[in-house]
Amino acid sequence: MVKEIERAGLPVVHMCTVTPISLTVGANRIVPAIAIPHPLGNPALEFDEEKALRRKLVEKALRALQTEVSEQTVFED
Amino acid sequence: MRLELGKVLIKDVQFGDTTKLENGVLTVNKEELIDLILEDEHLASAELDIAKPGESVRITPVKDVVEPRVKVEGPGGVFPGILSKVDVVGSGKTNVLKGCTVMTTGKIVGFQEGIVDMTGPGADYTPFSETINLVLKCEPQEGLKQHEHEKAVRFAGFKAAAYIAETAKNLVPDEVEVYETDTLLEGIKKYPELPKVGYVQMLQTQGLLHDTYVYGVDAKQIVPTIMYPTECMDGAIVSGNCVSACDKNTTYHHLNNPVVHDLYKQHGKTLNFVGVIITNENVYLADKERSSNMSAKLAEYLGLDGAVVSQEGFGNPDTDLIMNTKKLEAKGIKTVIITDEYAGRDGASQSLADADPSANAVVTGGNANEVIVLPKMDKVIGSLDYVDIIAGGFDGSLAEDGTITVEIQAITGATNEVGFNKMSTKGF
Repeated sequence: MVKEIERAGLPVVHMCTVTPISLTVGANRIVPAIAIPHPLGNPALEFDEEKALRRKLVEKALRALQTEVSEQTVFED
Repeated sequence: MRLELGKVLIKDVQFGDTTKLENGVLTVNKEELIDLILEDEHLASAELDIAKPGESVRITPVKDVVEPRVKVEGPGGVFPGILSKVDVVGSGKTNVLKGCTVMTTGKIVGFQEGIVDMTGPGADYTPFSETINLVLKCEPQEGLKQHEHEKAVRFAGFKAAAYIAETAKNLVPDEVEVYETDTLLEGIKKYPELPKVGYVQMLQTQGLLHDTYVYGVDAKQIVPTIMYPTECMDGAIVSGNCVSACDKNTTYHHLNNPVVHDLYKQHGKTLNFVGVIITNENVYLADKERSSNMSAKLAEYLGLDGAVVSQEGFGNPDTDLIMNTKKLEAKGIKTVIITDEYAGRDGASQSLADADPSANAVVTGGNANEVIVLPKMDKVIGSLDYVDIIAGGFDGSLAEDGTITVEIQAITGATNEVGFNKMSTKGF
């Protein structure tokens, strides 16, 4: 899906836990997620902490979306 | 470490007044065994049935399959850390009831449970169509949580296997096999010319119905470690998973791991089988990195020239598999991987979710997406209620006439990744 949307001309950020698979299948902007059963959250956290974590992840993805890349890039920080 | 495995060949299994094993005929006192199983307050009911090869019988949903074994001599007992104390097992003498199993079924816990047909086309895909299966159907107390339900049925299988295995404790086995592994330095002194080969066994460890236990420890909490190959023959590793039915390692597979047995066959002849490294397949990327780092490090420390890596399950564990392969190969250790494929019903899609050029020696257990039609059987043990929702099944899998159309993914052991299956291929 990542590749098809990019083919249509829209930049895509792939948020995923297993970044090596994302690299193998050819995503260009990759943001590491939390865990396979809960990529964008963490049920072990308190509600407020989890909300902050989720906001941080989304903001990181939006920053990645606006970043020019010349090769496959994993946004670690 | 030296283990004598005594095989008591089972010719028949029947119900009777006294639980005993005479002349290869196992008699089970149904009431006594059911009473033992129902000591667990989590279970509301238990039933026993016997399924024999060639009978028109379908068992589903199958959770685990256990081979009955009993410790005859030496430290510890079978299923250490679970039924027995946590002594190190794998030495002394163990008797095995060869040719029969305990198979657990009952209300489904999760969609990864399987189908075993005792005859017809489905029987060709599962090794358990060739064993006499004592099928234990357990129903949970109402309202029991999924995790407790899974645990109760898992333990019921082990208890039933241990109960019937006790009959073989004082018997003289029909066949005896001896397995021996020296300590690392002695082995190297003994076979200086032979390549040192290890087995990296990946254990499925991803949560409910995806867990494996090592000496009673949930394997997602371990860091990779080294084991003598005979430890698994006494039940040091047991299954708590059904991921999917086709490529889970049941407890039976762990007890009879073909990779271990085949490496022993070559041990001292063409290679020096140094030992087993067990590792896991967790859901966090950092865990995947750490575990593959450590398996490769242990392999290097053992001085391995070559390694066989077996996967369990599919999907994201493909990444653990590829990480293990890359890191082993990078250390100059020649690596062969055993996996299976999800290449679509036509076999045309990419087989694994991850790949790397260093994974250049691959053994496959087959394509789990292949579709098969299973004709109606005269008798069902368990329930057909779940056929449409198990992995490999789909809405409409179960036809009105009792025929089932499923991917072979739904058949217990069909594409097993330790090679305990019967599929092969032929070039034309």
